[in-house]
Amino acid sequence: MTAGRRPARLVTLQGDYAGAASRFLAYALDVAVSTAIYTLAVAGVSFVIDTVTRHAITWTTGSGIITSVVFAAWEFFYFGYSWAASGKTFGMAVLGIRVVRADGAPADAWRGVLRALVFPLSFLLFGLGFLGILVQREHRALHDLIAGTAVIYAWDARAARLRFLARAAETGQPPTTAPRQRSGAR
Amino acid sequence: MDPLGRLRSAGRRVTDPMEALAQQVAERVVGLVATALDVNALVARVDMNQLLSRVDLNALLARIDLNALLARVDMDEVLRHVDVDAIVDRIDVNEVAERLDMDELVEHTDLGAIIARSSGGMATEALDAARSQAVGLDQFIDRWTGRLLRRRHPGPAGPPGLAGNPAGS
Repeated sequence: MTAGRRPARLVTLQGDYAGAASRFLAYALDVAVSTAIYTLAVAGVSFVIDTVTRHAITWTTGSGIITSVVFAAWEFFYFGYSWAASGKTFGMAVLGIRVVRADGAPADAWRGVLRALVFPLSFLLFGLGFLGILVQREHRALHDLIAGTAVIYAWDARAARLRFLARAAETGQPPTTAPRQRSGAR
Repeated sequence: MDPLGRLRSAGRRVTDPMEALAQQVAERVVGLVATALDVNALVARVDMNQLLSRVDLNALLARIDLNALLARVDMDEVLRHVDVDAIVDRIDVNEVAERLDMDELVEHTDLGAIIARSSGGMATEALDAARSQAVGLDQFIDRWTGRLLRRRHPGPAGPPGLAGNPAGS
């Protein structure tokens, strides 16, 4: 054990702006999960209607607009409710990120709803609204700027590193690829 | 027979009593002077700093057997007089904790085993790995974006007052 230095490993990622990869992966996971839930729900409703009325329902023929509207409403509910209630969706929880106010305070419920409402705007013009995540210093997309929000890391990289080292020490393997942490400069 | 023998004998008869008398006089005088002298006043007039500056303390200490000196000290008695609480109050424990190398601590003590047994299982391990890979990608993308945009200074790490502080999860 050594003392007398202030190692960077004491620094946790908590509170730092989340990067593009984490946000994209979280979004991809959310789309997969929300679509799976929607599909299961539609299948369940179809099964119930089929069982009760003895008439099979086909959702695509002549009802494409309706299903699109229902799906859009479901997506809005999925994201809006998650952001308003806890500041994070399922995918964001998995990736350890969350939505906060631009000044770092917990996001108000109405900001979560507003963020979900303006989220589609970032898809316009070939997704130019998302460019802010890459080039903006605070990694804020168009919908973040409108809703006054930012996305930060909410997981403790330091604790994860210690868990990794503990597991390596327990199994007797050398710790070669401990979880990454923020170093002094980014 | 020594012709000077009688002369020497006569001389000794005179000088021996004189020498004894001189010794008595000297002792009497020193005693009188010592009684009359105010030693404290004399010491007060001595420039101790100047005196000490002429003393080679290193040479003095080199001649002292500190082990023998310490062997004569009753450390338990000394420590009994020490107010440990007062000393601990003056120590910034957080500062001390920050200087600890936690990696070394976890790797080389039973603390690692305790953490490994108490913290999650495969799910936590997978989550840690996925998150750390994503952060690695984030930092890679950040680096290249910074190079492409020729940024000289990195942006703020996080929102004001939140970067580096727990954000809750």
